Amino acid sequence: MQRSLTFLLLVSVLVVATCGLIYELAAGTLASYLLGDSITQFSTIIGVYLFAMGIGSWLSKFFERNLLAWFIQIEIMVGVVGGCSSAILFLLFPHIEFFRLLLYLLIFITGALVGLEIPLLLRILKSKFEFKDLVSKVFTFDYIGALLASVVFPLVLVPFLGLVRTSFLFGILNVAVAYILCHRFREEIPWANYLKGSALTVMLLLAGGFAWADEIMTISETATYNERVVYSVSSSYQRIVLTKNNHELRLYLNGNLQFSSQDEYRYHEALVHPAMQSIHNPSRVLILGGGDGLALREILKYPSVDSVTLVDLDPEMTHLFSTNETLRSLNHNSLHSSRLKIVNADAFEWLRSQRGFYDFICVDFPDPGNYSVGKLYTLSFYKELARVLAPEGKTVIQSTSPLIAPKSYWCVYHTVEKAGMNAVPYHTYVPSFGEWGFILGMKETHFSPPDTFISGLNYLSGPTFLSMMEFPHDMSERPTEINKLNNQILVHYFEDEWAGYQ
Amino acid sequence: MQRREFVRNVLLGGASLFVVRNLEACMPGDSFAHIQGSIRGGNSKTSHLLREGKFPPASKFVDVECLIVGGGISGLSAARKLVQAGITDIIVLDLEDHIGGNSHGGKNEVSAYPWGAHYLPLVNPGQEELISFLKEIGVIRSVAENGLPVYNEYYLCQDPEERLFLRGQWQEGIIPSFGLPDSHQAEVKRFLDTMQQLRYKMGKDGKEAFAIPAAESSQDAEFRELDKISMKEYMMREKYASPELMWYINYCCRDDFGTPADETSAWAGIHYFAGRKGVAANAEMNSVLTWPEGNKFLAEKLAAEFSDKIQTGQLIFNVRLNADFVEAQSYDVQSASVVCYRAKKVVLAVPQFVARRILNNTSSGKEIMDAFHYAPWMVANVTVKKPETRSGQIELCWDNVFYNSESLGYVNACHQHLSSHPGMVVLTYYLPLTKGSPFEERTNALKQTHRSWVEVIVKDLEQAHPGIGKEITTIDVWLWGHAMIRPEKNFMFSQVRQEAGKPIEGKIFFAHSDLSGMSIFEEAFSQGIRAAKEILEA
Repeated sequence: MQRSLTFLLLVSVLVVATCGLIYELAAGTLASYLLGDSITQFSTIIGVYLFAMGIGSWLSKFFERNLLAWFIQIEIMVGVVGGCSSAILFLLFPHIEFFRLLLYLLIFITGALVGLEIPLLLRILKSKFEFKDLVSKVFTFDYIGALLASVVFPLVLVPFLGLVRTSFLFGILNVAVAYILCHRFREEIPWANYLKGSALTVMLLLAGGFAWADEIMTISETATYNERVVYSVSSSYQRIVLTKNNHELRLYLNGNLQFSSQDEYRYHEALVHPAMQSIHNPSRVLILGGGDGLALREILKYPSVDSVTLVDLDPEMTHLFSTNETLRSLNHNSLHSSRLKIVNADAFEWLRSQRGFYDFICVDFPDPGNYSVGKLYTLSFYKELARVLAPEGKTVIQSTSPLIAPKSYWCVYHTVEKAGMNAVPYHTYVPSFGEWGFILGMKETHFSPPDTFISGLNYLSGPTFLSMMEFPHDMSERPTEINKLNNQILVHYFEDEWAGYQ
Repeated sequence: MQRREFVRNVLLGGASLFVVRNLEACMPGDSFAHIQGSIRGGNSKTSHLLREGKFPPASKFVDVECLIVGGGISGLSAARKLVQAGITDIIVLDLEDHIGGNSHGGKNEVSAYPWGAHYLPLVNPGQEELISFLKEIGVIRSVAENGLPVYNEYYLCQDPEERLFLRGQWQEGIIPSFGLPDSHQAEVKRFLDTMQQLRYKMGKDGKEAFAIPAAESSQDAEFRELDKISMKEYMMREKYASPELMWYINYCCRDDFGTPADETSAWAGIHYFAGRKGVAANAEMNSVLTWPEGNKFLAEKLAAEFSDKIQTGQLIFNVRLNADFVEAQSYDVQSASVVCYRAKKVVLAVPQFVARRILNNTSSGKEIMDAFHYAPWMVANVTVKKPETRSGQIELCWDNVFYNSESLGYVNACHQHLSSHPGMVVLTYYLPLTKGSPFEERTNALKQTHRSWVEVIVKDLEQAHPGIGKEITTIDVWLWGHAMIRPEKNFMFSQVRQEAGKPIEGKIFFAHSDLSGMSIFEEAFSQGIRAAKEILEA
């Protein structure tokens, strides 16, 4: 063996050490990201990793011949396992039950393989140096590599490449060293061609992963939601995702937050009670959207309500919220009420076919972010709504944020008025959403805000509601066009106004 | 050893996955096998019986006051007008198994869709008959205080209306603008400004320069001159050079007339832009009315009052003028028997190449048949997963056009649906066959297989929607051998066209959009009304 091999092997110690620590840090970061509680995650991951390294070191004694070839083989394997680990963990997180098992298994394998490397190297190099020099050289490079990794990881890699790309990159680096070693010393290695071939293949694979990291991240929702995904399903209409952290449950539809369990009461109380409280003995109620049963929960607090029809496009939504334990306790089991009839249909088509009147119509659709949903905010839709609204009935429409999207908000207001109803604007603050707006619509000309509200509310009261009807200058009424099927101006307003926030 | 093999297999497996994925991406392969569908349309087999002329003798005789041959828009409009005027002893016959002519449509589990004509522009002020029809069927709901019609909002084409795939991107609207140099932009503007001026230009005879119906246009020499040159020659004469503008003009001529700009009369070409003057209280100018099933909606409304008097699958092969009545022999396709109708009046609401063939004892048939030319079209309905749009790009519109494509692009048949279901859509793909002469194209089209049409369509769609082929479940194809009249040079003001519509001895009347030189709903409708009025006044 020549000096150059010695040098190369020492450089590979550096790379191996850097890569090893990067995998460990990536796993720790990923685990705290997905599972929360970073102290526990980091501590257990470091523990398992070091322990596995010990196992690897112990296993090293079973390798007796072809040490260099084995060293290269192991480097390739570390590259595969370590390089792909972040992607695998992200992708499988929402789908498997024993996520921790997988996590520790991957850490263990990586650790054991990395643990094999240093003892093997020491043995490869033992004839080159005196023992004291050997140990000092190898461990110097080892610890330099560790320092390098720990500095570069938080400052450069995570912010610029992200976890998945970082892992792939270091996997490539790992295998590249293996390839170079293999190439330089092909004569001394028994399975040089096979090793070179596999190194190249693995590099290609990892490079592919590196290139498609964004697609991988898109597939893995977890990365998008930044919280633990406890449930996710693609219905034929939308992607429903529930996430949970230590103190709240959140629902996302197509990636847009619908509610947080922590403050949804503010939203739903504001949505339901101002109208309900001002209707004399409301008995027939219609809810459009709102398959989560939360607005329904508020409505069922009124004993005068005889029947509620809830129209939600997506059977998957009403099913989820009527079967899942946690969600049933959140909506007080409202979807099982004997007063309720659930219709899974498209609201516009369904509404057009309706005859008869409703005392209260609660309209809780997603924001008008595209033309399909935009149709549900048009003049034609509100005319149909007015048609089935009882003469002394009221409707309420969730109408996006009057602070961030004032033109959108006031466009809904003007469109409701144009449809022949009198519109009353009000808004409230919901921490997880920000400042949020509602439009109350009615056929009567005068609206008197209720002085009192039913008991048991967490947020609304007479004086609170009066303040909700105040619009400071930054949210005040402004001129807009009327939103119609043949101009869909609201979708344009909405896109412009929210562009900076998304 | 085992372990080594295992590792090798894993690695090779990974590598082959990688390779397969990339190979798949490079080669299209036979990726059409999964696409269902068939070629339909154009009852050409039955109509070719006409040429052979071998029919059994009449087994039944029917007397009727007025027989209407042809259940397209002009025939239905004539029949409706007659019924409303109290002439209820009528029979409407059509060769096809459906009414409406090229205002035809179909339906599958995803949506209703058009097979031909699929929209109506806002109606020009003054078209009283058409306005009253639209009021009758609830398309026009009321008249606003300013006198403008209020259209039914469910029928007005919803936003977003049009987009054009140009230079690898979708741009809003179909007039090219994305990436055009300033000088070309300026030309587009000059052209549109000129059209805007011509729109309100009046002739010395006090008539609009370009009116709908075309027959009410000014006869001033200044405008008649435009019929002597092609639209392309007009553009060159006016010194337009922008290739994008030329593409747009050619697109428009092919869209409305199935005729390329270098063969379309400049008068007709300009009429496309300057003829339409419709305004509404609740829509912008240039808005259109449309339905998932296209103008089949209008055809069915036209026929609603007398649907019991319509018989389909009837091939009229002989119309003779007798002393007291008109005798018309009709071959019933289903029973293979012949009925002889003896009518006091007959309306031939069929194109002239049919009308003059079945008319037995009149002169001038040959001259008319030589002068009237028709454009062949292929229309396909493509059932496919709704094409995704990258964020920041214009979403799927009603009309989606590809720059520099043989086709006119596609129309989303589901556009007027109110539901927000994101799943499947039906896209109606329009291809006017204009490469060769109409005869060549017609002959060639009939030779094509379903598979070869599928290839043409998918290749075209893939330009703007890479990978869309995989998402298509069905492509149904309809061939129209004679989809519409071609308003060629010197046709609009030709003697023969103006003479062709004249009744024969107060007994045989003519009504078809080809007599107007332009195959648009308004022309067909007014032809029918005119024929009915001629009958009522006779």
